[in-house]
Amino acid sequence: MADGTPTHLEAWNLQLAEFEESSRVGPARAALGRMRRNKLLLLGTALGLIVLGAGVLGPIISGADPAFQSFASTLLPPGSEGYLLGTDHLGRDMAVRVFIGIRVSLMVAAGVTLLSLVLGLVLGMFGGFLGGWADRTIRGAVDFVWGFPLILVAVLFAGGLGEGLFPVILAVGLVNTAAIARVVRGEVLSLSEREFVEAARAGGLSTARIMWRHLFPNILAPALVLASYYVAVAIIAEAALSFIGLGAQPPTPSLGGMVSDGRNFLQQNHWGATIPGITIVLLVLAVSLIGDGLRDVFDPRLRHEAKGVDEE
Amino acid sequence: MKRVLARTVYMVIVLVLSSIAVFYAIRLSGGDAVAARVPASASAEEREAVREQLGLNDPFHEQYFDYMGRLFTGDLGNSLTNNADIGKLLTDHGRNSLILGVAAFVLVFGVGIPLGMLASLRRNSWWDGGIMTFSVAGMAVPNFWLALLAVWLFASVLGWLPSAGCCGPKQLVLPAVVLAMEGMALTVRMTRSAMLENLNQDFVRTLRSGGLSESKVIGRHVFRNALVPIVSLAGLRIGQIVGYALVVETIFGWPGLGQVLVNAVLRRDYPVAQFFSLVLITIVLLSNWLADVGYTVVNPRLRRT
Amino acid sequence: MTENGVNRPVTAPLLSIDGLRTMVSSRRESFDVVRGLSLDIYPNEVLCLVGESGCGKSITALSIMRLLPTPPVRVREGEIRFRGEDLLSLSGKRMRNIRADSISMIFQDPLTSLDPVFTVGDVIVEVIRAHRDMSKEEARSLAGDALAKVGLPDPISQLDSYPHQLSGGMRQRVMIAMALVLDPDILIADEPTTALDVTVQAQILDQLVKEQRERHMAMLLITHDLAVVAAVADRVAVMYAGEIVEQAPVDELFEDPRHPYTQGLLRALPKVSTTRRRLDPIPGLVPSLQMMPPGCAFAPRCPHALDRCWTEQPELATDRDGRVFRCFNPQPFAG
Repeated sequence: MADGTPTHLEAWNLQLAEFEESSRVGPARAALGRMRRNKLLLLGTALGLIVLGAGVLGPIISGADPAFQSFASTLLPPGSEGYLLGTDHLGRDMAVRVFIGIRVSLMVAAGVTLLSLVLGLVLGMFGGFLGGWADRTIRGAVDFVWGFPLILVAVLFAGGLGEGLFPVILAVGLVNTAAIARVVRGEVLSLSEREFVEAARAGGLSTARIMWRHLFPNILAPALVLASYYVAVAIIAEAALSFIGLGAQPPTPSLGGMVSDGRNFLQQNHWGATIPGITIVLLVLAVSLIGDGLRDVFDPRLRHEAKGVDEE
Repeated sequence: MKRVLARTVYMVIVLVLSSIAVFYAIRLSGGDAVAARVPASASAEEREAVREQLGLNDPFHEQYFDYMGRLFTGDLGNSLTNNADIGKLLTDHGRNSLILGVAAFVLVFGVGIPLGMLASLRRNSWWDGGIMTFSVAGMAVPNFWLALLAVWLFASVLGWLPSAGCCGPKQLVLPAVVLAMEGMALTVRMTRSAMLENLNQDFVRTLRSGGLSESKVIGRHVFRNALVPIVSLAGLRIGQIVGYALVVETIFGWPGLGQVLVNAVLRRDYPVAQFFSLVLITIVLLSNWLADVGYTVVNPRLRRT
Repeated sequence: MTENGVNRPVTAPLLSIDGLRTMVSSRRESFDVVRGLSLDIYPNEVLCLVGESGCGKSITALSIMRLLPTPPVRVREGEIRFRGEDLLSLSGKRMRNIRADSISMIFQDPLTSLDPVFTVGDVIVEVIRAHRDMSKEEARSLAGDALAKVGLPDPISQLDSYPHQLSGGMRQRVMIAMALVLDPDILIADEPTTALDVTVQAQILDQLVKEQRERHMAMLLITHDLAVVAAVADRVAVMYAGEIVEQAPVDELFEDPRHPYTQGLLRALPKVSTTRRRLDPIPGLVPSLQMMPPGCAFAPRCPHALDRCWTEQPELATDRDGRVFRCFNPQPFAG
């Protein structure tokens, strides 16, 4: 009865192996999935590079003075002779002002990100790793700041420190610090329970050494990804505050301020408001795409957290 | 109960700390307050006299207690720029802000939640696609830019709505929608994902096995579960409304608390700035506290008996 | 249904499943997870449905209740007759009336199976009022009685408890109370003790059997645990890869299993009485339902497979002794 069996069984096993091979997700399909994700990143990076390039190189190439007023040629539309993007109500060259406005936006974003990343990492790591009294204090402060609306904090800072870019950076930086510290603290708590940290602790390494050598490298990636999301927040906040007059002060051109100037002359030349407005949207889009791309590549878990959607 | 009590104590402590911080911050720029009171040509002695008169030379804590004492007796002082009574500013502008805030609140939750539910129940349909596209757009466009676009379209091009003003229903539409947009977009997203997540829970199967109708299972049980994360972040959403009100009220010339505060800061009208900072902080903290209490109510897992 | 004549000659079946095919379909592929299953449940009996995880036991139960997660799972073919009606062709409303009132079900994990934001009393009252024209107060007192009956201490105050305030065993008692509050004819219990502590398992099982006896209801108990089967079953149906391979009264099945898979299951059972005997697992893996062998589903793992077993599918048939199984080449069992 058993003579036929081995061949049947062998044939079957072969068939099964083939089936498994065919149902496995092929490398081509996997690569396609990665490409699709990277396309966003690519698009964001390209967009970001263009805007960045305009900000860095634009003023140098153009060589025009952003504050130079020419009352003979006010409110010109884009493409007018000598003015790529036209002029504003004081006859200033819109192109140069937009370029410098981008610079200002990016400088504020850089300041905010640096501040919130460093402070957020330090507070989150100390809170999460030391625990106890230090953690409770840090967490209390962080929760407090985190619950506050960004714009209100910025206006309060402007009230205390006067208008300008510095209080904007400080306010947005502190609120973003809280957001980053919350996530870092959570990461540290989960890492602390992992074997390699336990082993380091059991091996008698000092607290500072464990934090620097073992925790920090593991936390840097998610923190950077999160910070990239908050770059967009910073750009929007700066623009909004400059728009209501509390951010960059004249004569410094800022995109929000330009939209504000331009809206008084919508009838004559709507470009004065449209061009800086579109620039802000492009800037935010570029930064968000880069942030989303980085998040997908490095840490998909963070997607919800960053949007404030699915906490707790 | 214990949790609510703890949150109440926390709120009061934070409120006191914030009032000290605001008071101190305003004092930092106190010199400007003097400048606002005296002509630029005034001598050092004249300035000193004004400082003394304003009580700026007293020790900090005395100034603070003095100020808080006056607040509690209802003596709120006057504006430096137009001598308006601060109490009257509060009632007039508070009323306008309340109208705008409530309208935005209704849009964020009263419209955001149903839209999110609709998207989740018609998953992958045109409804879902449309609502989610709207939601993504709502989060990506900065609200002051949205305000300009809305004014351009509805006031300049179509002429349906006024571009600014106060405080009829027609004037309310644009500022309320702009103010609510981002919060609404986030609420839609969150409601959708919370509904979908809870629709897949085991308890839904149990309820169906008990013979309950779909409207009961979804409308009562899935919805109540989905409400938990929504309410847990409601404080943030309300805070966002307060924060954005500063921008939106300024854009639309809506005479509310936010506009008063922004103008006071711009004009260094420090008694007004100080008082209205405290008012807005109190509103934010109260709304956070309310959302916290609401969270305890909708999430029985936090309750102990 | 015809094959069971010898096992249960006296009464007519309460519920009978005939040729049930339930499929999973996705964009890429679709395949049957229940492959032409026929099974009768008689009044007043405990029928155990046994098999490894993934063999389609739970899907069968959910097909009866019409609670399959559709999409992707749906019934493709077959009938489930209950009181002269085919459950599968009833309107949604008629089916809802049958659930809990005539056929009830309890599930594996009592924590995730209870709505966390409602009190257990609220939910039981809601279930009662979905079927009976009762005031809230009447329904509540009925719910209290139900909790008392399943042995929950302090039942009236437990009505106001939330699931997270109860232990695992208590939660499962609540589930039982909810399932039985309307006195159904059939209770389907899908691995009701698997998620519980060992000590609690026996209590819950006792409770279930006690209720079954007192109410004279039929119980379809789904389990992978042969010890449970031995303790409570009247009759057993063994499932393998989406179909029934053997059916027998419990004593016959344990003494003299006919299908090689049943024999394998029993051989894999650790025995306390026999000393120093190695555990004897069934070789090979459960076949993937996407890729079934052309003949008998068990052939690749069967020590006695014939050529015929690889080319032809055996039917579930009754042999001369009145035993029901699905095999071309049954061997005597050497336990």
